[in-house]
Amino acid sequence: MSDRSVSAPRRRLLGDDPGRLGLLFVVPALALVIVFRIVPLIWGFGTSLTDYDGMSAARFVGIANYAALTRDPVFIDSIVNMLILLATLPVWIGLPMLLAILIHQGVPGGKLFRAVYFFPAVLSSVIVGAIFNMLLRYDGSFNAMLKALGFSAVDWLGNSSTALFSLIAVQLWATFGMSLLIFLAGLSTVPSDMLEAAKLDGAGLFGTWWHIVIPSIRPIIEFAAVVTTIGMLTSMFGLIYVLTAGGPGTSTTLPEFLIWLEQGRMNRPGYASAISMVLFALMAGLAFIQIRIMSRNASL
Amino acid sequence: MAAVEIRQKRALTLIALPMVLLALSCVYPVFFTINAALKTRKGFVLDRFGLASDPTLANFAQAWTQSRLSEYFTNSVVVTIGAVLTLLVVSSLAGYALAVLRFRGAKIVFTIILVSLMIPVQVVLVPFYRTMIALDLVNSRAGLVIAYTAFFLPFSVYLMTAFYARLPRELFEAAQIDGAGLVQVWWHIMLPMGKPALITLGILNTLYCWNDVLISLLVLQDERTLMVGIAALRGEYTTNVPLLAAGIVLAAAPIVIIYVIFQRQIVSGIAVGAVKG
Repeated sequence: MSDRSVSAPRRRLLGDDPGRLGLLFVVPALALVIVFRIVPLIWGFGTSLTDYDGMSAARFVGIANYAALTRDPVFIDSIVNMLILLATLPVWIGLPMLLAILIHQGVPGGKLFRAVYFFPAVLSSVIVGAIFNMLLRYDGSFNAMLKALGFSAVDWLGNSSTALFSLIAVQLWATFGMSLLIFLAGLSTVPSDMLEAAKLDGAGLFGTWWHIVIPSIRPIIEFAAVVTTIGMLTSMFGLIYVLTAGGPGTSTTLPEFLIWLEQGRMNRPGYASAISMVLFALMAGLAFIQIRIMSRNASL
Repeated sequence: MAAVEIRQKRALTLIALPMVLLALSCVYPVFFTINAALKTRKGFVLDRFGLASDPTLANFAQAWTQSRLSEYFTNSVVVTIGAVLTLLVVSSLAGYALAVLRFRGAKIVFTIILVSLMIPVQVVLVPFYRTMIALDLVNSRAGLVIAYTAFFLPFSVYLMTAFYARLPRELFEAAQIDGAGLVQVWWHIMLPMGKPALITLGILNTLYCWNDVLISLLVLQDERTLMVGIAALRGEYTTNVPLLAAGIVLAAAPIVIIYVIFQRQIVSGIAVGAVKG
C-alpha cells in the first residue's frame, strides 16, 4: 500500500504498518464481542447439554434438557404465544407500509404525521408499559372511551384471553413509526418519473401502488419483515416486564421472558440454556437473511 | 390528466381522516400522563380524564426525592454517557481499521462482528451473567458501561465501516504522503470526517442505553437505572397514579428533548440501517 521506506524516519512507536495497526485498532471491538457474546453463546450451548445446577460438577446429559422442554407446559405455552404473535406480522408490515405510501404521495400534513407517528418509538418499553398500564386498567381511558361509545368495559390486561392481544397492540403502537421510516426511506428511491408516467397513463391511486410502488420496494418489504420478526422475538422483554409480567397465568409469556424467569432460578442453568438455544436457532435463520442484506450494502 | 390529479387529491384528503385519528392515538397517552402528573391524588380519583383544574408540581418533587428517582437519574446519565463515548471511540477505531487499513483478516473480523449481531442478550443471558460475575462487573456502573458497549457495538462498527469505506481513498493516501502517522490520520482525518455518522450513532446509542431495562436489571442489582426505577415505581404505586405519571414524565423528558432537537439525525440513522448503496 504505502512505501514504508519513505516514511521510515517518521515512524512512531505504534509503527506505520497498516496491517499491525489495523489489528490493534480492531482489538477492543473484537475482544468485547468475543468475551461477552461469542464465548457466552458457545458456553451456553455446552451448558444446555449438561444437568449443571450451579454448584456441583456438571454432568453431560445430551439432549435431555431439550427433551424435557417438549414436556414443559409453560415452554409450550410460550411457543404458542410466540406463534400467535408471529401470525400478526402482516399488520406490522402492512400498516406502516400503507401509511408510508400515503405520506410519500403527498397526503396533506405528511411531515407532521411522520413526526407524530414516530414519536412513540423513542419512548422506552418501560415508559410505554407504564403508560398503557394506566390506560388499559379497568377504570382507564380506553374503557371509558368504549363505554362512551356504548360498549362494555373489558379487563384488557387481567383477562387471559385479551392480555396477549393487548400486549401485541401496545408493542405495535410503540414501533410502527420505526417501520414507517424504513418504508419512507425505501420509497424515496422509487424514481418519480415512473410515478409520473403512470399518472399520464391515467392509472388510479391504487393501480399505481399495486403495479409500480409495491413491486419497486420489494427489497424494503423483505427487510422490514425480517427486522420486525427479529424484534418480535427479542424486543418485547421490557414491555412484558412492566405491562403483564408474563401473566395472567402464562398468557403473555414469550420465550425471551421465560429465559429471564428461568435464569432467575439459578439452580437450573442447563435447562435455561436449552431454552436460549431454541430461541437462538429461531433467530439464526432470520439473522442469516438480515446479514446477507447488510453485507450486500456494506462495501467491504 | 388534470382530472386524475384532482381525483387523487380528493382521495388523499379523505384518507387523511383516519390518519388524524391514528395521530391522536399517538398523542393522547402522552397528554393523559402529563395531565395526570399535574393532578393531586384526590383530584385524580375525583376526575380521571378532565383537565387538571388546579395543576401542582408536588408529584414531580415527591418522585424526584422520596422515590429516589434523582439517584437513578444520575446512574442513567453516568452510564449512558460512558457507554456512548466508549461506543463511539471503539467503533470509529474498528471502522477505520476495517474499511481503510484493510489488514489481513479484516474480512474474518467483520464477519465475526456481523455474526454477533444475531446474538441478542436473551440468548446468552445465563453465561453472560456468569461472565459478568467472574469479571467482578456485577453491581458496578463501569460493568454496565462495558455490557452496553458489548451489546450495542456490532451495529455501530458496521455503520462506521460502511461510512468510512465510502470516503475517498485519496484523503487517506494524501495524509500519509504528507507524513501523518496512521494514528494521526485517525485523529485528524477519520474522526472529523466521520462526524455525521458519529452523531447519528451517538443519538441512537443514547436512546438504546437510556431505554434499556434487561441488561440493567441483570448488571445493576443493588443500585438502579432510571428505567428499572420506573418499573419498580409502577409496582409500588398502583394506586398513586399521579406520582407514577410524574415519574414517567421525568424519565421520558430527556429522550423527548433529544428527539425534538435531533429528529433529522435519528430519522437518517434509521434510513441508513434500512437502505443503502
